[in-house]
Amino acid sequence: MRPPQLSLLLKDHGKGESFEMLITRGASHSFLAHYSPPSSPKTLISPLLPKRRRLFSSLLPPSFSSSHSSVARRTLGRRNSTMGASSAVRGSAQKLENADELIDSVETFIFDCDGVIWKGDSLIDGVPETLDMLRSKGKRLVFVTNNSTKSRKQYGKKFETLGLSVGEEEIFASSFAAAAYLKSIDFPKDKKVYVIGEDGILKELELAGFQYLGGPADGEKKIELKPGFYMEHDENVGAVVVGFDRYFNYYKVQYGTLCIRENPGCLFIATNRDAVTHLTDAQEWAGGGSMVGSLCGSTQREPIVVGKPSTFMMDYLSNKFGILKSQICMVGDRLDTDILFGQNGGCKTLLVLSGVTTLQMLQSPNNSIQPDLYTNKISDFVTLKAATV
Amino acid sequence: MAAGEAQEGSEERREGEALMANRVRPLSPQTARSLVESIDAFLFDCDGVIWKGDKLIEGVPEALQALRSMGKKLVFVTNNSRKSRKQYAKKFAALGLDVSEDEIFSSSFAAAMFLKLKNFPKDKKVYVVGEEGILEELELAGFTCLGGPGDGKKSLQLKSDLWFEHDKNVGAVIVGLDQYINFYKLQYATLCIRENPGCLFIATNRDAVGHFTDLQEWPGAGCMVAAICGSTQREPIVVGKPSTFVMDFLLERFQIDTSKMCMVGDRLDTDILFGQNAGCKTLLVLSGVTTLSELQSPSNSIHPDYYARSVSDVIELLRT
Repeated sequence: MRPPQLSLLLKDHGKGESFEMLITRGASHSFLAHYSPPSSPKTLISPLLPKRRRLFSSLLPPSFSSSHSSVARRTLGRRNSTMGASSAVRGSAQKLENADELIDSVETFIFDCDGVIWKGDSLIDGVPETLDMLRSKGKRLVFVTNNSTKSRKQYGKKFETLGLSVGEEEIFASSFAAAAYLKSIDFPKDKKVYVIGEDGILKELELAGFQYLGGPADGEKKIELKPGFYMEHDENVGAVVVGFDRYFNYYKVQYGTLCIRENPGCLFIATNRDAVTHLTDAQEWAGGGSMVGSLCGSTQREPIVVGKPSTFMMDYLSNKFGILKSQICMVGDRLDTDILFGQNGGCKTLLVLSGVTTLQMLQSPNNSIQPDLYTNKISDFVTLKAATV
Repeated sequence: MAAGEAQEGSEERREGEALMANRVRPLSPQTARSLVESIDAFLFDCDGVIWKGDKLIEGVPEALQALRSMGKKLVFVTNNSRKSRKQYAKKFAALGLDVSEDEIFSSSFAAAMFLKLKNFPKDKKVYVVGEEGILEELELAGFTCLGGPGDGKKSLQLKSDLWFEHDKNVGAVIVGLDQYINFYKLQYATLCIRENPGCLFIATNRDAVGHFTDLQEWPGAGCMVAAICGSTQREPIVVGKPSTFVMDFLLERFQIDTSKMCMVGDRLDTDILFGQNAGCKTLLVLSGVTTLSELQSPSNSIHPDYYARSVSDVIELLRT
């Protein structure tokens, strides 16, 4: 019998589909923008089956229980390329020409870190002068990073080492965001948090007064799928926080899964869902989106995302500093986290090309996220300004 | 809410539940009889149906024996990719069940067959996020593998000039259940898929959890697959249930119309959906991951033809 022709079924494979984005707006906790898990997997239906049986049934697992409050979900099709996070149709990004105009129009600049301020452990050209200039003009500076491996304090040290005077209170890492989120919902102090992630998360939880389990130490723990082996889990765990984790293993996945599935009301929180991250300057590394994906796969639940592009941090900042979002400009190098974060929050957005995004990627027909402005790097604020004099 | 409204609400709910309950019928002596008479081949899932971990589920050997003596063909279709068909045959034998290798269709076998049918070039390599079963089947089919359990021991020395190498000749990444999953493997698979042109991303299956030990459920391949989806932003080709890929092989071997097959499984979104996709009868057993309330829940949209407590019910009902 001739082998079946699978080529027809495989024709769509390999085009590198990006996945749909779900923007979840919670009732009281706003804008939990996050990425949906990949939609139904490709099904191979045998061509040998009679035509009428070749039905592509829906392959989505039984519906996810929604993670927290009742939410309205809006799916953005990637083919509707002109649609941004809000329903406004956005034109293409404009090249930054008049830096003064931008600077004068906002009160606060929010900067992403990797690819904007530094690359790996080296400062990007002209950053110190730019930050000084903005401060001298009375602008508030805030630094928001999805990287959860360090705490704010540890980031403060990194800034210091690079010769930048940035206070701890100006830094908001997704590790901090997770702790701040738990605080904002009055997470009970007698409940525990299970962490699939690194030191930064543990430190921030501790600072906020929460009890935690897990973290890097559980990276040493092994399991054996053999008769009589039983994994216990603490029934007092009321939240599982998942972020980038180089010590990721099956023990942690099972522990987190048991807590989420079996502890009533257990929250599933993700620091961020970045697909890849620049652990080192030279190449991309599997990011938090990977670890979070694994828990979505085993629990069939969606997490509450606290890092970009969710606007949790934006809400937090605007409340804390009493600033209007229209008075903010978000500066970042990634479209699907930084720029979307800014758009979701209703502020101005500036893409810099000093990080992961190239001009080609910005202008590609596959890209549906258009910032208001783009420029090469943040020191353009200084050089462009000088040019217009 | 006013008392009257509350009453109305709960009446509606009861009606809805009754409707739902009517859509799923428990296997009865009559329906068991007609099922067995009309079916020539029974397809069984394994975890949660035949065994839990390494422990046989009660009444299974007798039921299988009875079906064989009635002249029924028995086939075992499992999404668990940890073993090869050969290794599964050994497991059956160790449990006192007489099942031959060619009656077993594991997702590990499916993955190797997929590459074969696709004429995957022999000079290309396959990176495996998974266990021995996948490696064995790939090797049997003549493919070169990298990864597997060995990479579970690899860790990364973290320093700022660290460079992660990956083989540019990897033309496919296969992801299945992997208890040795770690960051090294996630990164290797991610780089292959993102950077090697045309690299295939194949999943043996996407089960969320399974009974890999007798005492509790454990994260399934769905976990590892979703991790790679998360870092690559790509969808895999799924070769295991509910994809009907393996049905080709079954049809070729048994020459039986799918309407004369019955899929017996414990998972709705894999086993039962597989059976429905292929046009078989479907029987859900409650001896595994699915409870009666999950089956009857209004949020469940997958309805098997019948349900029973376990495989042994099929035969026991015949005797009543």
